[in-house]
Amino acid sequence: MSAVLHAHPESGPALGVAGPQKTRRTLSEAGLRGRWWRFVLILAITAIVLVPIMVTVILALTPGPNSTATGLTLENITGVFSKTLAGTWLTNSLITTLSTVVVSVAVAAPAGYVLSRGRSKAVSGYSLLLFVMQSLPIITSVVPLFILFAGMGLVDNLLGLIIIYVGSTMTVATWMMAAYFDSIPVSLEEASWIDGCSVFGSFTKVVLRNSLPGILSTAIFAFLLAWNDYLVAIVFLRSNEIFTLPVGVQSFFQQNLTDWSGVMALAVVMMLPPIIVFATLNKYFSVGGIGGSLAGR
Amino acid sequence: MNVQSEAKRNFSRRGFLGLTAAAAAVPLLAACGGGSSSSSAGGAIKFWDMPWATTAYNDAAKKITDGFSGANSKASYQIIQWNNFYQTFSSAIASKTGPAVSTGGGFQAFQFEQQGQIAYADKVVDALKKNGQFDDFLPGVLEPFKSDKGYVAVPWQLDMRPLWYRKSLFDQAGVAVPTDWPSLLEAGKKLKGIGAVGFATGSGAGNNIGNHLMIMMMINNGGGVFTKDGQLDVMNDRNVEATEFLLELVSNGIIDPAAVSYTSDNLDAQWKNKKAAFGMYVLGVPQRVGDTSGDLMVASPMAGPHGDKATLVFPNNIMMYKNTPSQDASEAFLTYYMGQLKTLWQQKLMNALPVFKSITELPEFASDPNNVKIVKEYQPIAKTFAAQGTSLNANLAVLDGGQALNQFTQTILTGKTDAKSALTAFQSGLQSVLKK
Amino acid sequence: MSSTTAQSGLARARRGLAPGGPGGGSRTHNGGLNRKSKLSGQTKRTFFWLLLPSIVLLVLINGYPLIYAGVQATHDGSLIDTGNFVGVDNFATVLSSPAFWKAAQFTLWFTIVGVFGSWLVGLGLALLLRTKIPAGGTFKVLLLLPWVVPIVVSSTAWNWLVATPDSLIPSIFRNLGLGTPLFLADPHLAAVMVMVFKVWVSFPFMMMMISAALASVDTTVYEAASMDGASKWQQFTQITLPMIARSTYISWILMTIFCVNDFPTIYLLTGGGPVDATTSLVVLAYRSVFQDFQTGPGVAIAFLMTLTLVVVSVFLYRQIRKSSVE
Repeated sequence: MSAVLHAHPESGPALGVAGPQKTRRTLSEAGLRGRWWRFVLILAITAIVLVPIMVTVILALTPGPNSTATGLTLENITGVFSKTLAGTWLTNSLITTLSTVVVSVAVAAPAGYVLSRGRSKAVSGYSLLLFVMQSLPIITSVVPLFILFAGMGLVDNLLGLIIIYVGSTMTVATWMMAAYFDSIPVSLEEASWIDGCSVFGSFTKVVLRNSLPGILSTAIFAFLLAWNDYLVAIVFLRSNEIFTLPVGVQSFFQQNLTDWSGVMALAVVMMLPPIIVFATLNKYFSVGGIGGSLAGR
Repeated sequence: MNVQSEAKRNFSRRGFLGLTAAAAAVPLLAACGGGSSSSSAGGAIKFWDMPWATTAYNDAAKKITDGFSGANSKASYQIIQWNNFYQTFSSAIASKTGPAVSTGGGFQAFQFEQQGQIAYADKVVDALKKNGQFDDFLPGVLEPFKSDKGYVAVPWQLDMRPLWYRKSLFDQAGVAVPTDWPSLLEAGKKLKGIGAVGFATGSGAGNNIGNHLMIMMMINNGGGVFTKDGQLDVMNDRNVEATEFLLELVSNGIIDPAAVSYTSDNLDAQWKNKKAAFGMYVLGVPQRVGDTSGDLMVASPMAGPHGDKATLVFPNNIMMYKNTPSQDASEAFLTYYMGQLKTLWQQKLMNALPVFKSITELPEFASDPNNVKIVKEYQPIAKTFAAQGTSLNANLAVLDGGQALNQFTQTILTGKTDAKSALTAFQSGLQSVLKK
Repeated sequence: MSSTTAQSGLARARRGLAPGGPGGGSRTHNGGLNRKSKLSGQTKRTFFWLLLPSIVLLVLINGYPLIYAGVQATHDGSLIDTGNFVGVDNFATVLSSPAFWKAAQFTLWFTIVGVFGSWLVGLGLALLLRTKIPAGGTFKVLLLLPWVVPIVVSSTAWNWLVATPDSLIPSIFRNLGLGTPLFLADPHLAAVMVMVFKVWVSFPFMMMMISAALASVDTTVYEAASMDGASKWQQFTQITLPMIARSTYISWILMTIFCVNDFPTIYLLTGGGPVDATTSLVVLAYRSVFQDFQTGPGVAIAFLMTLTLVVVSVFLYRQIRKSSVE
């Protein structure tokens, strides 16, 4: 652990340049060596961490019991698409998850802003209430929510699922947004008020615009919660053509019997969209949201 | 994309206020709505079925369901996943969106009967009497479903727990297949010598084979958890004896020390990888683990130390609910469905014993010698969880999936206990959750 | 921003501000966000409209089931039928049962290890990934995978790695001459296993939270500190940690909720066994409701758990207020 912690400041680009008693040349060599050291370290950590996932991927690519293929094959994966409604499930999952993400962030960002900037008793009370309300485990909420939603025709319907996901991601998402807004100095908004912006105006024009990393973290949290849930979905969804992927995975579990190659193939399909999302958005995480404007803090 | 636009429309503020108002009203409705038999809209009989076997099974069952037209009604088919199924049924029934007819957990019918949701099947049984199917039931299959008020459900398949063995391992160890408890102990020791497991089982996440084994061994010794009239009877001598024997198997390493954590998948692997030589399991083990070479076979039932022979069976059943568009149609559908069951065995889709003698005689079923042996040797001596009694009831659901039995099983399989104290804990655990 | 709710809420917020016009803006500026003075009416109204969508959802999706669960916990019914009012009987039953206290104890350890284990791993990796590393971005994505894989799948993969004596990891131990540990069959090892699994599933979340917080830390601060002769450890404790403090507290609270409320991680790996060694309060509540069919006592367990969570969170919450007022 401590090795990891120490590795960081040594390499911080700013620190490297600033080291007063070292010459430029040794510095860059040390920097380069450190860089490869860290590469080996992270490679080792990643390899160990990913062992269980490699197991999954290998099984997804191993021919099933009734297959004639040898070596690794994509036939399990193409198989789940041709023999089941995996394509439809994928679409359903994407619709549900993306709607959840958009609505959840749209609800959580303004609420998080109030939590971050408001200092009244009511606001901190509400902040705590958010926490209290969602601490009840979801397993005890499913039945009452089902009865409520059944009365409104929101059962076996993606909309019903989206509403529940938004409700259950919203509390945590609000807190995450609040945490991020806290790292944005109020001085930025103060400057905008002087320019004549309203509170709301400065929230959208100044704060939100500088909150991409926070919004993305929150969005990813909501994305994964909605993407991976099966406890709610399995009770709410009945029809094969309305299933999301996690419920689809369940359909490979029969009485005392499981089609593991199908499960693993679908698991790989389930992993891909989040990986694509992460890989695409990756560079935004590392971009300092407010960069130089922090100087005034 | 239709869903999305619908979603947007419904996210209006008025929509939310509407939801809030409805939220306030529902607890009142739910509180006084239990047990009503109000009919739901739409005439079709909703039939809910479980993934009892491969998807081909569900396709065939759907085909049967779609083929129904009687009592001016049609039927619709719906698969319900096993995961959280009790929650799925309960929430649907509570919101009046449940099925009219369904399969489900082995004792589910009795639980929902207790809650006033089940329509009795006496008229269906009458119809089966008329069409001759009643006399076709294997002996002792239907009686357990008869309660004071009527037939709670109708059995349609038997989930049997026979003993299996792998012949090559016994040959290799040079020992005969056990016929009674002492010979199991002896064979187990020899099998251990060649690195094989003498009595394979598992009680890991989601695996209840270990639980079933505990009860099976009690029943095999003439014991059982209940008396003939349904009173709790955990501490009887036969149960104590069976538990002591299980502990002996554990301490001799004949039951795998890691069995307590084995999922059904781990257990399958033990059978497949020629580790497991002998043990209680489900029907169709060769097909299940992918070894149909003939090396995996059903053993004859073992005799207990007092000469008792018995095994465990779960009679899976079809139930009707009070909430139906038409009770006549529900009954017509169930009668029709019972008449069509043989096609499922004809297509070799089932991994369970049929309830009708005529189906056991179908060439497609009788061509498998293991099947024939189970029908001949195990079915006549099979007892349910209700043993020593025979009538099924809602308490058995608590026994089957509940924590008391699972704790007992895991305590025995880890071996760090004695029979009396484990059974005492089991009894008090059951007492605290059983309805009197 | 495609949600109509949010948009109408925001539009209203805008209108709410309109009467004041630019003047309102400056008034807000003078009083609005100043921590020491009271909020102006305008700002309050804006805040209200900004909060409204979340309030509605909170009442509907979280409030209603809470009330419903309150009814269940004080009745003796089933999932379908409310049954008779029994007051606090269910709570008394639960509190007097040894299984509850055993589960509470396990939940405590599970949570402590889950929160701090995943935080330490996440922090270490976030700091490491913040430095210049070849293909750093790829690693960052790869390391998020444990959080991405559905638990149904990853628990199975873990099971295959450790469950039987012939599984990969016990085989490695055997070959190293360390015996053949039964990771899921031994009660103590099973408890450790579940916690390790939880840390494995959770550290990416921590890593992401900390990375986001670190991204907003200006690197020139380190430059200045280094000029002043601060050691690396000092820079870490006096710059990095304070900068990510609030984010850390929040991630601790969130992870506490995730751990205490976690069901699939434990249930799918061990089912709560062997002999209750890994039964947490949620698993106990689940099994009471859906396997023992004891709806009232089961929901009462969930309630007691929630109550404890609230107490813990209020404590951590105070820490946040402190850290953000500084």
